[in-house]
Amino acid sequence: MKEMIKMVLVLSLFCGLSGLTLASVRQATSERIEEQVMTYVQGPALSQIFSGYDNNPVKDRKTFDLPDGPVTVFPAMKDGKLMGVALETFGKGYGGPVGIMVGFNTDGSELTGIGTTTLKETPGLGMRLVEPEYRDQFKGHTTKTVALTKNGGDIAAIAGATISSTGSVAAVNQAIEIFQQIKDRIHKTWTS
Amino acid sequence: MSTLWKEFSKGLWHDLPPFKLVLGLCPTLAVTKTAYNGFGMGVAVIFVLAMSNMLVSMLRKVIPSKVRIACFIVVAASLVVCVELLMQAYAYPLYQQLGIFVPLIVVNCIILGRAEAFASKNPVLLSVADGLGMGIGFTLSLTFLGSLRELFGYGTWFGMHVMGSWFKPFGFMIEAPGAFVCLGVLLAGMNALTNWQRKTKGLEAVQGPVHDCKTCGMCASKPRM
Repeated sequence: MKEMIKMVLVLSLFCGLSGLTLASVRQATSERIEEQVMTYVQGPALSQIFSGYDNNPVKDRKTFDLPDGPVTVFPAMKDGKLMGVALETFGKGYGGPVGIMVGFNTDGSELTGIGTTTLKETPGLGMRLVEPEYRDQFKGHTTKTVALTKNGGDIAAIAGATISSTGSVAAVNQAIEIFQQIKDRIHKTWTS
Repeated sequence: MSTLWKEFSKGLWHDLPPFKLVLGLCPTLAVTKTAYNGFGMGVAVIFVLAMSNMLVSMLRKVIPSKVRIACFIVVAASLVVCVELLMQAYAYPLYQQLGIFVPLIVVNCIILGRAEAFASKNPVLLSVADGLGMGIGFTLSLTFLGSLRELFGYGTWFGMHVMGSWFKPFGFMIEAPGAFVCLGVLLAGMNALTNWQRKTKGLEAVQGPVHDCKTCGMCASKPRM
């Protein structure tokens, strides 16, 4: 009996201490980790969307509250003037969510391009979302209608990766919708 | 001092984890596409191994023998999560490369093997020496394997171009089968070397594995009552 109590006690104590340690390490690193994720995941996508900006969009990012939850907006500036903004949305992919960074010009009439953030698609098929051949179709595209050719639009889907293509277009449309909702707030925050 | 050095140095050659003990093969095969990845993985393992050996050795009198494996796992798992968080915070690109293999350090047999076979029976200082030695041996092995694969697969070493423009990368080396072939050739080379050394000393060549099972201790261990 005594041995059993000791076993339970020692193991519980170990687990408690381990939990405490991990919680404090997590607390201490969480801010830095967020910064790193932004730099290495969102950063490269941003440089695919905009060119010629001179600020750090990741550092200047701002979060806006929306009814569906907060949205983080990345501004691209040149000489202190807004060139465009980007925001990240997720569509349903084949191997998990498809993270798409969608860039807009300042008045939101045109897309400046899209970049991919988190992808777990099939290599050689859905992963071809990252290739310029697909991404460049969005460059300068109007924000009025974005759809795949099979749905009457003009975005050619990747052969063999209908789900990934549909997911990315859905993400773009979601971003357009969000942009319309926060357009005024963006203009209040940054001058163009 | 001499025992300390003995425990430290055995991990560097005599009990070299991936090549002599043939332990911890999962990361050895999976993350050695480049020398840098192998090195990064190794450093994470050094930290976890030395710390887990130290903690297990410090607590060896407190841990009841019936739940010792569970206790070792709690210690190793906590350390691995710490490493994962620190790596995310300070070496994010490395973390992206290593991915799932960082959390998988927990189930690396070297960690549990050393805790069970060594740290739970020896004083703190010796256990730390053992952990450091094994960890450094593991790192050197992974870096070496990674260097070979990177050299032939990409023509680079730690990202630097070392092969001339005549070199055509041998893509097979950086694929999974390349890891097996590379490891197999290395193991064969090490066995040949051991047998050659024995021959010069006038001993007979060894057939089969050149290591003995007791260094791992996992399957041979009996519960301490």
